Amino acid sequence: MYGCLHSSSPLPSEEALFDLAKEFTPRVEAKAPTPVLLDLSGLGRIWPDPVALGQAILDLGRARGLDPNVALAGTRTAALVLARSHAGLTVVPPGGEAAALAPLSLDLIDLDPDRLALLQRWGLRSLGDLAALPAVALSERLGPEGPRLRRRARGEDDAPFVASPAPERFELTLDLEWPVDGLEPLSFLLARVLEPLCASLVARGRRAAGLGLDLRLVDGSTHRRALRPAAPSADPRTWRTLLLLDLEVHPPRDAIQALTVRAEPTPSRSVQFSLLDPAQPSPEKLAETMARLHEWTKDGRSGAPSLLDTHRPGAFAVGTFAPGPASAAAREPPLPRMALRVFRPPLPAEVAVKDGGPAFVSAAGVRGAVVDRAGPWRASGDWWDGAYSREEWDVTLGGAGLYRIFRDRLRDAWFVEGELD
Amino acid sequence: MSAALLPAAASAAKAALEELLRARRLQTEAPPLRGEDRRRVPIATGLLAVDAVLGGGLRRGELSELHGPASSGRTGLALALATGVTRRGALAAWVDPADRLDPVSAAAAGIDLSRLLWLRGAKTRVAGSRPLTETLAATGTLLGSGLFDLVVLDLLGVPESELRRLPLTTWTRLERVVEGTSTALLLLAAAHVAHGPGGASMALTPRGPCFMGAAGPGRLLRGLTAEVAVGRHVPRRAPLRLHACC
Repeated sequence: MYGCLHSSSPLPSEEALFDLAKEFTPRVEAKAPTPVLLDLSGLGRIWPDPVALGQAILDLGRARGLDPNVALAGTRTAALVLARSHAGLTVVPPGGEAAALAPLSLDLIDLDPDRLALLQRWGLRSLGDLAALPAVALSERLGPEGPRLRRRARGEDDAPFVASPAPERFELTLDLEWPVDGLEPLSFLLARVLEPLCASLVARGRRAAGLGLDLRLVDGSTHRRALRPAAPSADPRTWRTLLLLDLEVHPPRDAIQALTVRAEPTPSRSVQFSLLDPAQPSPEKLAETMARLHEWTKDGRSGAPSLLDTHRPGAFAVGTFAPGPASAAAREPPLPRMALRVFRPPLPAEVAVKDGGPAFVSAAGVRGAVVDRAGPWRASGDWWDGAYSREEWDVTLGGAGLYRIFRDRLRDAWFVEGELD
Repeated sequence: MSAALLPAAASAAKAALEELLRARRLQTEAPPLRGEDRRRVPIATGLLAVDAVLGGGLRRGELSELHGPASSGRTGLALALATGVTRRGALAAWVDPADRLDPVSAAAAGIDLSRLLWLRGAKTRVAGSRPLTETLAATGTLLGSGLFDLVVLDLLGVPESELRRLPLTTWTRLERVVEGTSTALLLLAAAHVAHGPGGASMALTPRGPCFMGAAGPGRLLRGLTAEVAVGRHVPRRAPLRLHACC
C-alpha cells in the first residue's frame, strides 16, 4: 500500500508535507515540496484499516495548518494521480487502481503538451480511454513511450520506490542563564556553538555557504544577521571572525539572552591542484580579510577594478575582489609604461593659449610655463547620455613635471586630468 | 616513494619542466610550486638594469620605498612590479588614500586587474576621521593576511604635514608585520620616508620626457626617462625608461 500527499495551496515550509509523512513511515519519497509519496507497507498491525490510516494522516495535516489531499492505493502512480485529482481523503483497495483512474483527465499523468495534444487529436479524453488501447498498437505509433503511458494510465508503477533522505538541518541554539553584553563574551559563546556545528557539517561532507545568526535580546526582540561569503567554509574560526566583524558594524541594541546559529549546507568543494599553477589564496582567508576591510569596501569604491567597454576617457568600474584561477600569461612581458596619476575630479585650470596650444597652466598645486607639448588629441562621444567632447594635451611644465590637460569643448573650460608618472 | 620524498621529487620534476619550457621559450615566468618557500624569490620589475641593481628584484618580507619628484616614473615602476606579480598568478594590493591610481594605466602596464585589490581613500573626508591612520591599519590587515605578494602603499598626494604627524614607530610596526612573510611592502612617496634594513630605498631622478616629431600637431609623447638610485649611502644607479601608455 502506498500513499500520496499533495497540496495545491502554498505550504508554510518546504518540508511541511515531508515532516507530516515522516510521522507515519520512515520511507518517504519526495522530489519536491509537493507531492510526497509514502511507503505504507508493514503498517497493517498498527493501522488495519487503510481508511483509518488515511484519516489519521489527514487529521494531523489539518492540525498542523495544512490542507493536503491524501490518497492511498496499491501503487504509487495511482496514489499520485488520485491525490492530484481528489480533495480530502481517497482510498482505493488493491486491484481497483485502473477502475479508479479510468474517468480522470489525461493531463494528470505528467504528459508533455505535444504528447497530450496528440492523444486528444486521437479522440482520447480520459485515462480509461488510453488504458483501453492495445499496447502493441501504441508501441507501433509512439515507440517505447506508448506502453509506458498505457501502464501509467492503468495505475501501474514503472520504477521502484526510492526513499529520500531526511533534509539535513544544521542549526544550534544556546540559551543563556545570564544575558551577555558586548562582543568579547559573545566570542566564546559563538565558539561553543560554531565548533559542533562545523564538525557536523564536516562529518557529512558539507560546508556552510551561508550562516544565519539570531540573537534573542533581553527586550524580547531578535537581532538577525546573515552572512554569505564568497566561498563556503566549515572552519569555525573563520565563521566566528566573520560574525564578530559583522556584529562590530551592526551591534545588537540590548544584552543577549539566547543565540541561534543556522548553517546553509552545500557540498564540499573539491579542487584539483596543479603542479605548474601557483597556489590560490585560501577562500576562507580571503573572506576574512575582505570582512576586515569592510569599511573600505562597503560603499563599492574599493575592490578589483575593471575597464568598461567605452571610448570615454578613464572609464572604469570597481567590483568585488574575488580572484579566480590564474590564466596563462602572455609569452612576452609587457613594456614598462608610464602611468597617469588622476585627479578626481579633474582640477579646473587657467590656461594661456599661444599659437593654438597651451603656453601656461595654472591650477591648484600645478603651475608653470609649458616648455614642451604634444597634442591636441580630440575625443567625443556619448551624445545620447552625458556627452563629452575634449581636446587633450600632454604638456611639460618647467620644473613641475609632465601633465595631461584637456579643454572641455562643451563647456569651453580647461582642466588638469592628471600627472604622467 | 615515501611522503617525505614527495616534495623534493615534485620540486625536481617542476625544475626540469620549467627548464624545458624556458629552453623552448614557451613560458618565461614560472609560478612558484605549491608549498614552495617564496620568501627567497625576489619580485622582479621586469627591467633588467633596475633588477640588476636591486639584486634580482624587490625583497619579500621587507619594507622598501620608491621616492622621487613629480613625473619621475614612481607609479610606472610600481605598476611594473605589480604586473610581474599578477602575471605569475599571485595577488597585489594598492592602498591609495589619495585615490590617484588610473585603472586604464594599470591595464596598459599589463596588470591582471582581477588580481589587484585597490583600496581607495574616501571621496569626502568625514569630520574627525583619521584617514592616514585608517590607511595604515588597512595596510597592516593586508600584510597580516599573507594573501598578497606585493602591497603598495601610495603616499604620493598625502600632505607632508600628515606624514610628519605619524609616530616614528609607525614604520617600525609595519616592518615587523611584514617581516618573515612572503609579501613585499613598497612605499611610494615624494621624498624618503622609511625602509627596512633589508629593504630597498629607490630614489628616482627625472631625466625628462621624450617627444617625437617636430613641434606642432603631429608631435608625440613617447615616454619618460629617469635614473634609479638604489641605496642611500653608496647608491647603485640604473637608467629607467617608461613608454607612453596610450
